[in-house]
Amino acid sequence: MRVLLDELMVNYPYFAAMILFIIGAFTVLTRSNLFKKLIGINIMESAIFLMFIAAGNIRGGAVPILDEANPQTVCINPLPSALMLTGIVVSVSVTAFALALIIRLHQSYGTTDARRIAELRKRWHANEGNH
Amino acid sequence: MTDFILKRVAALLLPFIQMYGLYVILHGHVSPGGSFAGGIVVGLAFIAFTTIYGLKKGRAKISEKATALVESYGTLWYGLMGMVGVFKGAPFLANKIAGIDLGELGALSSGGLIGLIGLGVGIRVSSTMITLFFTMIEEES
Amino acid sequence: MRATIEVHLPVFVVIMPLFVAFVLPTLARRIRLVEGVVTSTTVLWFLGAGYLASLVLIRNGNPIGYSLGGWPAPWGIELSVGSLSCLFLLMVAGVSLPVALFAAGNMAHEVGGPKRITRFYVLCLLLGGALAGMAVTSDLFNVFVLVEVATLSCCGLVSSRNHPLAAEAAFNYLILATLGSALILGGIGFLYIITGHLNMGFASQELNRIWQEYPHVVWMAVSFLLVGFGVKSALFPLHVWLPDAHSAAPSPASAILSGLAVKGYAICLIKVLYNVFGVALIQELGMHRILTLLGMIAITAGSLFALTQDKLKRRLAFSTVAQVGYIFLGLGLANSMSLAGTLFHMASHAVIKSGLFLAAGAIIATTGNDRISEMAGVGRQMPITMAAFTVCSVSLVGIPLFSGFIGKWNLLLGSLEAGNRLAQAVIILGSVLCAAYLFPIIRVAYFEPAPAADWQDPGLPQKTALILLAAGVILLGVAPGPFLELAKRAALDLLVMK
Repeated sequence: MRVLLDELMVNYPYFAAMILFIIGAFTVLTRSNLFKKLIGINIMESAIFLMFIAAGNIRGGAVPILDEANPQTVCINPLPSALMLTGIVVSVSVTAFALALIIRLHQSYGTTDARRIAELRKRWHANEGNH
Repeated sequence: MTDFILKRVAALLLPFIQMYGLYVILHGHVSPGGSFAGGIVVGLAFIAFTTIYGLKKGRAKISEKATALVESYGTLWYGLMGMVGVFKGAPFLANKIAGIDLGELGALSSGGLIGLIGLGVGIRVSSTMITLFFTMIEEES
Repeated sequence: MRATIEVHLPVFVVIMPLFVAFVLPTLARRIRLVEGVVTSTTVLWFLGAGYLASLVLIRNGNPIGYSLGGWPAPWGIELSVGSLSCLFLLMVAGVSLPVALFAAGNMAHEVGGPKRITRFYVLCLLLGGALAGMAVTSDLFNVFVLVEVATLSCCGLVSSRNHPLAAEAAFNYLILATLGSALILGGIGFLYIITGHLNMGFASQELNRIWQEYPHVVWMAVSFLLVGFGVKSALFPLHVWLPDAHSAAPSPASAILSGLAVKGYAICLIKVLYNVFGVALIQELGMHRILTLLGMIAITAGSLFALTQDKLKRRLAFSTVAQVGYIFLGLGLANSMSLAGTLFHMASHAVIKSGLFLAAGAIIATTGNDRISEMAGVGRQMPITMAAFTVCSVSLVGIPLFSGFIGKWNLLLGSLEAGNRLAQAVIILGSVLCAAYLFPIIRVAYFEPAPAADWQDPGLPQKTALILLAAGVILLGVAPGPFLELAKRAALDLLVMK
């Protein structure tokens, strides 16, 4: 028990990431509101970002900028942070694109509920015969 | 919106916000931040302007054609900077080994092509933000 | 000059489509010019890929390395063009060319005005560039970025059709695909945490040295990656987005999505599994059995679902699910024959499926109907379209002298070598079911009494595109020489630990 608690205390960012990831995935898969799905996606991606950044962090480390006065300073690993910047850009574009799609869906179906949209589509299929 | 205070404060602040964004873009290679963060700030300045002064005035500041052009050529600029290495007989995106003077550490004109590439990226990011914003509010209205 | 181009070709094949894509929006007002630029880009691209492939063949399959920015491997991003990359590049460029031809002047009814058409081409080229990048990169994070670029372009392509169904399909696709990307990023994160490298070669060395210390993390990484890439490449239980997305997209887009995009993710999975984990570790973990099983389920279930569809494009989309099963089956059998078969089948399926989707697009555009039961008479009134469709179907079933046969034959030999009776049975069953869902279409089109309608083959560029693809299918079947050689070399490369 002590060991487990110690591990939890030391690695708490990873546990936080895990919990966030599960919350996100759960939201995406169970909510039928399109906005909530999108928010779930964003939570899930934040979880991954947190995991990466925690992996690059050194507790007590300095900002990774070259300091000529004392070059021996322990710096955090800047690579995961830089990578996650790219990840954030990607997630911003995914969000923007998804929002645009939601606007289009709302224009044509008049709702942002996935279940309702599926119903309307089925009715449409039955009436039209072909698409 | 016809809020007098909002408009005056925005008129006072927005130029400085834009200058700050440009500063972050231009100093991306010597300080924290960089072209992406700076580009967002510049883009947000335009977005704030449009939300405060209305769509018409916002579009008058930066037209659709202008953002499209800037977006295309911002990326092309990145490609051209990458090709400098190729023309100098080094790999794509090469910097120091293509024989480019890196300058003095910490100075604004250091880092060879990195600052120039950052400029392209910053322009591109800001115009993308503006395009996204306009696409959304124009679809709504 | 020639030497310069030769040295930089690995990066040019990736950046050329990307940068052309970014210039296109400025030409939006002259749509003819846009189409001309896109077509000539794909021609150039194909030539570049062919030249690169010949270089690799001359070097006996030794990969050509390229360090971006001149930074060597553990620090910088390394591109490496081996037989696998060349095969994939040839496939991507070779399929893009006819698709671009087919799309020329033929997009207005499905997409809309010139601005939207330009956007469609931009997305196509972005997707092409991302796929080429997946083929050549050997950096894990680069894989993630390219996967994201490809995913966003795919969703954009689906939603480019001016129909509400397309928006819904695109949204569902986007949500599931983003879930997949989050998993992929997580998997890459686990690998980075335990190995400290993003370069595939270095990560692989480190992983095989230390994996026994972190068995749980390795399991997490491999399962995240498998599920992530599985969602994206439509592995059977995770395929739910594919039929809607691929049948709602405009036809040239369906051709690219089914023919190329799905395989791009499969290539990434192959690279991650075989170049990072390595075949020994996969077998140690028992992953190969899971892959084989999933592949077999996908073949059977995909084919059975395809049988029940009455809409042409949906049937073809489910057929893609089944063919993805073959890819995973070959990966799971993990011997040189099965891998060569898988890679060859991947390439031949790309040509076949784009041919099928383009022909289907031409038929649907002419008849205004996508039900198979109402396709009677198409065979006589649109001879060239239907001939191309028939050639592609026959090839997909796996009849000798057509390209589908060679891939499936090698897969069968691979399953014999692995001694997996069930796999042999499923491969043959898949072919039989494939015949069962494709041949009725041909029967209806040729032998049922035709209604009095005036249908005609599409215009010259479209006909050329269909003929090119059908010729490609026959060429790959009659003279598979260099392609099979590339596939076999690639298979050996994958099996050898570096």
